[in-house]
Amino acid sequence: MYPVDAFLGQNGMSKEMVMENSEQAYLIKSTKQGRNIFLNFYTRRKLLGVIFILPTILFLVVFILYPVLSNLFLSLTDACLTKKNYNFIGFENYLKLFTNKMFLKYSWNTLVWTFFSVIGQLVLGLGLAMLINYQTIGGPFLRGFLLIPYVVPAVALALITKWIFNGDYGIASKWLQNIGLIDYKQSPLALPGGAMAVLIFVNIWRSYPFPMLIYWAALKGIDTELYEAAGVDGANRFQSFWFITLPQLKNTTIVLAILRIVWTATYFDLIWMVTGGGPAGSTTHLPIMIYQSSFGTFRIGYASAISILLGIVLFVCIIYYVRKSGDFAD
Amino acid sequence: MLLVFMVLVTLSTGLVFAGGQQESQKAEKLVIWTNLTAEAQTVVLTKQFNEIADEMGIDIEMVTVSFGDMYTKLATAMQSGDVPDIMHTNEGGVAYLYANDMLTPMNEVIGKIGKDDFVKSYLDILTVNGTVWGVPDWALHTSVWYRKDLFEKYGLNIPRNWDELMKTAKALNIDNDSDGNIDIYGFAVSMSAVNVAAQVYYEFLYSAGVYTFDPKTGEYIFGKNKKKATEVLQYMIDLYHAASPPSSIEWAWSEFRNALVEGNVAMTQDMGAVILMAQSNNPEMVGKLGCFDLPGVNGDKKASFGGSYNFVASNQGDEEKVKLAKIFLEKLYTPERAAERALSRPMFAFPSMYSAFDIYKKADSVSQYQDEVDVIYDAFQHSTWYRYGMEAGLNQMASQIEATTFFGEAIQSAALGKWTAEEAVDYIDQMLQEQLSIIGD
Repeated sequence: MYPVDAFLGQNGMSKEMVMENSEQAYLIKSTKQGRNIFLNFYTRRKLLGVIFILPTILFLVVFILYPVLSNLFLSLTDACLTKKNYNFIGFENYLKLFTNKMFLKYSWNTLVWTFFSVIGQLVLGLGLAMLINYQTIGGPFLRGFLLIPYVVPAVALALITKWIFNGDYGIASKWLQNIGLIDYKQSPLALPGGAMAVLIFVNIWRSYPFPMLIYWAALKGIDTELYEAAGVDGANRFQSFWFITLPQLKNTTIVLAILRIVWTATYFDLIWMVTGGGPAGSTTHLPIMIYQSSFGTFRIGYASAISILLGIVLFVCIIYYVRKSGDFAD
Repeated sequence: MLLVFMVLVTLSTGLVFAGGQQESQKAEKLVIWTNLTAEAQTVVLTKQFNEIADEMGIDIEMVTVSFGDMYTKLATAMQSGDVPDIMHTNEGGVAYLYANDMLTPMNEVIGKIGKDDFVKSYLDILTVNGTVWGVPDWALHTSVWYRKDLFEKYGLNIPRNWDELMKTAKALNIDNDSDGNIDIYGFAVSMSAVNVAAQVYYEFLYSAGVYTFDPKTGEYIFGKNKKKATEVLQYMIDLYHAASPPSSIEWAWSEFRNALVEGNVAMTQDMGAVILMAQSNNPEMVGKLGCFDLPGVNGDKKASFGGSYNFVASNQGDEEKVKLAKIFLEKLYTPERAAERALSRPMFAFPSMYSAFDIYKKADSVSQYQDEVDVIYDAFQHSTWYRYGMEAGLNQMASQIEATTFFGEAIQSAALGKWTAEEAVDYIDQMLQEQLSIIGD
């Protein structure tokens, strides 16, 4: 309630001038003085709101807007880490990129890496979410156990991966050699297709817990009456899954897929530490290309152009995500 | 009241001056970066730095920056104008700082230490037109490390040219249990895209006398030598197919050293750290390992690939700071300290000073490898060695080759048969020229 009474008799205002409804006091228009007093009060209120959101705005400007704009600007320059000055060169970096035969190859690698990693994570995540959704003995332990991959540091994971896939003594390589999939003393990490497959496999293993948790939460939200009704109608388990569970998880899947696409396409550590982008560039993806352009050849202008292009693709995903989020709100 | 006020003013003034005096006594501080992160090395460096800091009455701040982060941190430090006063780094780091006009010439410091006491080849690599831009600390030399026992068992001699090397490598493809599979491969040609492939290739290139820059004029000549470079790469690929484990295409340092130490290969290129790995992982192997210099194509080896660590001083501080850094460096170069630093490296890091080498070779950890020490020291003294593209002295190209993977990508593509050796060399030439244009812009 606004303190209308406090203004009565002050500055020549009457009660009629104040308004009949004290809770809507800001509607007072009768005297200029009264309006000033209440607008000031209202302005102060708005100002307070602005002050409250100012840290967030500042954060967004400093950590998101400025870097993005700065990156965009750099992509139009010949900026180099070894030189103090740089020149504006328009779209030259972008033109160089499109004439670089490796850019297409690395883009394709990025697509393969992202697509299969995300598909694998979602499928495994959903399967395990359904498993832990059943009330079983030792459920909390199982849930905790299944979360372990998510907390394994990327460095440890990379070292273990190199170890178990070593051609001489790696246990996984030995299995593959024994069943004849690869030659004696060979390692899948030394084969172009094999290295990418190993990396995708490891990435799926490391990342499935996130989709698993989200799917599990979503499964909890499905009305059990739907399954009961389907059971009465004679639906078997597969039909219940196909016609009830999957449609109910549609929105969750879209959100998860978009988030995982963004995170996977920009994930750098694992590939760099396990294969360094090899063999023969078969696991070099755009983040590695960006890294090498920045800190290998020191061309940050060129690297910015690559990151802008990658960003545009991911931005489309984000827009899609935002629009879908709006659909959910509806 | 007035009295109390005066007392307070007097006290606070006294405190300010006292602080000022203390400040002036410890006013000077040197920031030193080193790329050495192994505990044994940082312990020695910290000890020596503190001793000298105490002698000089100054403060020091030692920062360990791992090799993998070096260029990233140097680049950002340069942008912010926050480069260290002294840096302990390899030639790539020196070249990078030199190219960006961040270094103080070291001729004066070297003169005071005694120029004649330095191995010439160590100084050459840091020299541009007579100016030496760093003080060499110690250096590593690429040799072929091999199984002496297997050579003896199969009656093999040290190969004197590339044909013999190929034959020896093939002869050492050993199937112990006659199951049709090779148990010990003759020669590990390691090709990890990050650093290793380029190092291995450069050792072969230098042995064959193929250079990136003309050692006399400094002109870029790799493009003119593509035919020879292709032949060298083809030989390396042939050796890989003939006598190297198939998975060595992705081997980095730990993998090929481990393969030799565990008895899975009979020869590999290395700078000597393999001995340390043998001491820790398979002591029985220590006595079975020896080294020889990779021969030239027809026996006459032109040069080899090496690597050194050096101290450099920044020119970014004021005159007093630069002077202080130079005095600090002079004090680092007593024979005892130089030998102690070289000995803190796992193995076969040879000090840059003759006087330090005399102490070094008598150390217990080294004296037992006298034959190997002689082989390597002979190469240091009597032959030429370079780092990537530093045939004509400091060159920033070294840092770009070191920090990128285009060599590795091209070499692996050729080894996998995706490209011909000629295509791989064309790609390397194209990339080198691109890097050159960046440096030259």
